[in-house]
Amino acid sequence: MGYAASESGATEVASALAIKILIAGGFGVGKTTMVGTISEIRPLHTEELLSDLGIGVDDTTGVERKTTTTVALDFGRITIREGLWLYLFGTPGQDRFWFMWDELALGALGAVVLADTRRLRECFPAVDYFEQRGIPFLVAVNCFDGARRHDPSTVRRALGLGALTPIVLCDVRDRESVKDVLTNLVTYAVKGTFSST
Amino acid sequence: MSGPDPGPLIRLFGLTGGRARPQGEAFDLVAIVTTVSMAAGRADLMREHLAVLTLCRRPCPVADVAAHLRLPLNITRVLLGDLRREGLVTIDRPRPVTQTIDERIYREVLNGLRRL
Ligand SMILES: Nc1nc2c(ncn2[C@@H]2O[C@H](COP(=O)(O)OP(=O)(O)O)[C@@H](O)[C@H]2O)c(=O)[nH]1
Ligand SMILES: [Mg+2]
Repeated sequence: MGYAASESGATEVASALAIKILIAGGFGVGKTTMVGTISEIRPLHTEELLSDLGIGVDDTTGVERKTTTTVALDFGRITIREGLWLYLFGTPGQDRFWFMWDELALGALGAVVLADTRRLRECFPAVDYFEQRGIPFLVAVNCFDGARRHDPSTVRRALGLGALTPIVLCDVRDRESVKDVLTNLVTYAVKGTFSST
Repeated sequence: MSGPDPGPLIRLFGLTGGRARPQGEAFDLVAIVTTVSMAAGRADLMREHLAVLTLCRRPCPVADVAAHLRLPLNITRVLLGDLRREGLVTIDRPRPVTQTIDERIYREVLNGLRRL
C-alpha cells in the first residue's frame, strides 16, 4: 500500500487493525447492555448527526436548511493489543435507519443477532439482512429473567436458520457470557474466511 | 450533554461549516487514521483538528478519534476528511475482512477475548 511516505509510522500503519462486529436485534433486546458489559470505553453511545436523511447528499446547503436528526449509536471497544482492536456497533433499531446498517455492515467481520424468545419475530429483519449480504452471524438468545429457557432447535426452526448458524444462550449483563458469544462469533466468521483462501 | 437541546448540534455544524459528509474518498468508521505532519505553524486549524493530529501520532481508528474528541462520528469524519485533504493525516482504505484477518490475528483475538 502507499504508505512509504510516512516515515516512522509506516510499519505501525501496516499492522494496525480494527475489526468491526455488529450487534443487532429488536428494541429492548439488550444491545446497549451487551456493548456496555464488555466495552472498555464509557461513552457508549454518541449522538449521531444525520443531516441528509432522505433528501440526498448536498454539501453546499447551509446549516439552516438541514434536517437534523439524532440517533443513539452504541459503540464499544475491546483492545486486544496495541494496534489491534475489536469494535462493537449496536445497530440502530428503527426502520428509518436501515441505510446506516449498510455503512456499519461494510467490512464487518460478523454480527450478533440478539433475540428475546418472547418476541422472536423482532429479529427477522436482522436475520434477513445478514443472510442477504452474506455476513456471518450468530443468534444469541438473551435469557431474560423469567423468560422460558428456549431450546435452540426451537429458535432455529422459528427463525428459519440454516443448520450451520450458531445459536447461543446468553445473559448480556454477564461478562463471561458476552465473551462466550463473541468468541463463538469470531470462530464461526473466521472459519469461512480461512477455508476460502 | 445530551437531550433535545439544539444548541450543541448547531455548534457542531459550525465545526464543519455545515457539512455532513467528509470530502474525498469514503472511509470506514474503523479505518485507521495516522498523522503524517503535525502542521506546525498552521494558524487556520481548529482546536479539534490539532487534537486529532496529536492523538493520531499513534494510528487510531476513526471511531476512537470520535470518542476522544467527544464528537459525533459524522462530524469527526468531516474533520478527518479536511485533514486528509491537507495532507496532514492518512486514512487507510477499507480492505476485505478476508485480507486483513489471518490465522495469527484470529488467535490473538481469541486469546485476547479470553483474557478479558
Ligand atoms: N432482567 C434482565 N433485563 C435485561 C436483560 N438484558 C437487558 N435488560 C434490560 O432491558 C432493557 C433494555 O435493554 P437495552 O440494552 O437498552 O436494549 P436495546 O434496546 O437492545 O439496546 C434495559 O433496561 C436492560 O437493563 C436481561 O438479560 N435480563
Ligand atoms: Mg439500545
